[in-house]
Amino acid sequence: MTILNESGIPDVLPPLHAVNDLAQRLPDVLIVVAGTQAEAHLIQCLTSAPSPNLPPFRRNQRVIFAVLDPDDPPQQGLLASRIVESAAGLRGTSLVLLVAGRAAQSLGVDTALEARLVARKLDLPAEVVNPDAPREVPGILSTDLEDNVLAALVNLCPKRKTSDLVETASPAKRSRLIGSLLRRGTETSDSNGGRPVVLLGGALSSGGARVLAAELFRAGVGVAGSVPGSGIGELPPLGEGTVVAVMDPNLTSAATAAERRGATVVKTLMPIGVDGTARFVQDVAEEAGTRTSEVVRARSAWEDLGVLKNRIRGKRIFFTGDTGIEIPLARFLANAGAVVLEVGAPRLDRRFLAGELQALGPDVDIVVSPDYRGQTNRIDESRPDVVISSPGLHLPLVARGHLCRSPRDFLEAGLYGYGGARRILELLVRTMERAETLDSLNL
Amino acid sequence: MKLLRGVYEGPQSYGILRVAASIRGVHTLLRALPGETYFRTLYGARERTGEMVPVTLSPLREEPDDSMAPGNLTRDLSSVIRRHPKAEIVILAHSEASLLSEESIPTTLPEVEGTGRVPRLVTFPWEQPGMRETEAAELALEDLIRARINDRLERSPYPTVNVFGPPIFGPGAAAEYAEAERLLDMIGVEVNVRVPLGANTKDLERLTRAWANVLLYREIGESATLYLQDEFGIPRVTTPMIGAAGTGAVLRSVGELCQLDPKSVQRTIWAELASTAKLPWYARLEPPETFQDRRVAIFGDFTYPLGLGYALSREVGLEIVTCGTYLTHLERDFLFHAHTFTEGAFVEDDPDQVAARIEAAKPDLVVGTHLEEGVADSLGIPFLPLCPPVSDTPFVGRPLMGYAGSSILADELDHILQGKESNQQETRIQWTTEALQEAAAVPLFLRGRARRLAEEDARSQGSAEVTREIFLESR
Repeated sequence: MTILNESGIPDVLPPLHAVNDLAQRLPDVLIVVAGTQAEAHLIQCLTSAPSPNLPPFRRNQRVIFAVLDPDDPPQQGLLASRIVESAAGLRGTSLVLLVAGRAAQSLGVDTALEARLVARKLDLPAEVVNPDAPREVPGILSTDLEDNVLAALVNLCPKRKTSDLVETASPAKRSRLIGSLLRRGTETSDSNGGRPVVLLGGALSSGGARVLAAELFRAGVGVAGSVPGSGIGELPPLGEGTVVAVMDPNLTSAATAAERRGATVVKTLMPIGVDGTARFVQDVAEEAGTRTSEVVRARSAWEDLGVLKNRIRGKRIFFTGDTGIEIPLARFLANAGAVVLEVGAPRLDRRFLAGELQALGPDVDIVVSPDYRGQTNRIDESRPDVVISSPGLHLPLVARGHLCRSPRDFLEAGLYGYGGARRILELLVRTMERAETLDSLNL
Repeated sequence: MKLLRGVYEGPQSYGILRVAASIRGVHTLLRALPGETYFRTLYGARERTGEMVPVTLSPLREEPDDSMAPGNLTRDLSSVIRRHPKAEIVILAHSEASLLSEESIPTTLPEVEGTGRVPRLVTFPWEQPGMRETEAAELALEDLIRARINDRLERSPYPTVNVFGPPIFGPGAAAEYAEAERLLDMIGVEVNVRVPLGANTKDLERLTRAWANVLLYREIGESATLYLQDEFGIPRVTTPMIGAAGTGAVLRSVGELCQLDPKSVQRTIWAELASTAKLPWYARLEPPETFQDRRVAIFGDFTYPLGLGYALSREVGLEIVTCGTYLTHLERDFLFHAHTFTEGAFVEDDPDQVAARIEAAKPDLVVGTHLEEGVADSLGIPFLPLCPPVSDTPFVGRPLMGYAGSSILADELDHILQGKESNQQETRIQWTTEALQEAAAVPLFLRGRARRLAEEDARSQGSAEVTREIFLESR
């Protein structure tokens, strides 16, 4: 594996686009976007990530734009009181997220103060999310807002101290979200004295946490809950003694937030693909105090994938990079026999992804902060079988005769766990089969 | 500060990009935060042509580093010229966040390597945060034309006109130009240049050859055509080319300005009325009862609501109970024109307030932008998304202008105005005071729907009134 920094302009969907999806995913959250006309317009234009068509326009009553007037910046406290007014009309709000970036800062809005005022007046938690906050590693991913929001949610989880460890597993505090399966799991972990496990991630694929909880349960590990889960009231306790299992490679801020609260973040592979899932289950189990071996399961999972693997073998795949899930995806596809030509990484946090990078096959090249024009040329030259492309490049690449899929299609199909590994391959095979059928037409 | 649930217009940079991306040979360098570049994605998803949009990002970073990574404005401009040697004009546009950070703007460009040619750099000193899309697009088009025109060319030997229409992302924009061109061609007038959609930078130099300017879309072409009128004496036709009467008026004015035989123009109009224009035919075919007491609410930009309002009230005979625009900078003009066909003209840019206005007017039909779909839905009445912005991106654009456009309008009306009576028959359901209080807390654009759902629930439970409990359950 080689890592190359191209210092270009990557094609990345603006992270703010996720506001609508997050509002759908977290139904009891009121999201207020404070900024200029530009932010409001962006969020309204991209009601969801296009892949490649824009989904039909719809409004969500839990997304409100506070459009600031640049000539007349609001007085202190005005934003808060307006938010309080509009929250009054919404039933069942349990959290206010104030999304405020660079523009709000430039206009002198003290977002932290406004959030505190909102929290006090509504008697609800209110958190500030800054989509333009500088990160340790330069670059942006289209999933940065999800990461920031999850970090805010981690901070909202009930605290957990060593002294509480014994009582937290009482039925009243248990999460209802993942169903009876989890409950049984929790009991198992209680009985063997294991540490509670919290899954972090899967913000845009609601079934993801459930799938992984089932996998962990099979290995004898109970999952106490997940973030984001299904409601703010149902966030699991997270703090000292909690084992946090991160599901997505792009959740650096959320993972850091969990670490800051004293939780142990498991350093392992992402639960994507067969080997990734096996390592994930094994390492999480070990951290939670259970020994288990996934070797047999992994082997049988690979055997099950036999036919699909044959269809993928030797296919050349190019990832332009957008969401950050491309790296584990590339790792799995390379293991399944595909030839990964390039993995674009608009931002690459080498420390956080150390495990993934080590597991990446020797023939995979990662291009950090790739230039979209350079990538287009490289794609034209190498003519890959499939391009997993960012939304901005999708149509131009299809027009040049390349076969494209969006990384989001994999997220939607559900890519976690052993079942997810199958769905990843099925999605790719389906894509290629359809292209072959269409190519064979005599137009 | 305003708390909104939606916006009709984008920021100024979006307006500039829409105009710039409509003209070939123009490359835009957008100074913005790395997370603000949605134009490329939007262009792909909206236009679906597969072309790469000629826009490059110059990312605004916290601390400009010493590396050669993009972010240095001067270097980024040079890189645009190196990578796009065919660009004749390079535009420097700023996002709102970058305008708020107040940087200095370079004024010169280096030459294209080895050619000695220096592309023209166009910057917009009037850019300021808080400015809206349409106003900026209008000013940007004028500046682009000013940058290209040197002196007056000789008038073309035969009558020609320039057509100033909508930029990209307009609903069926290309189809509107095509219909206008078809009709002008029929009366014997050639289209000199289509601006901005479909023009290239060379075309902008040729604008002064035309005998007149036909302004299809005033929102964008107003100041450019005024400039051409003041500086070069090119007259303009501003009537919206919507409906059969509007289209006829435009064709007759063009005929007059181009010194055509009025009789021959009239013959063409008659031929079109007989074959293509179906709106007058539809209005005559339907019994008067179809249109009687039908109340219409219209909301949109400028050209479309005014043109549609006029056509629907005069040509069809519907009652326009209210007609509004979100273009606050055109307030006086709009109200002046709208008062010719409605009492309820208004200017408003908050979708919730617009919904409230429409709801209060009790219409039977809403014609609007995609943001009005919710209010029409909640009132349970038909809706026609005919005014920009609309989210629909059809592969085949349909014109609303010209005679073909009038026929499409007739089809839409025919489809919608059939069988209206049914929903009035049901018995009215009473609301308790507590339930009404609860309903008042629902956001305006959802209130009608909430009310309807609650009434349905009450009916299915056999209750004669909506109580607080029924209302809360129904939500």
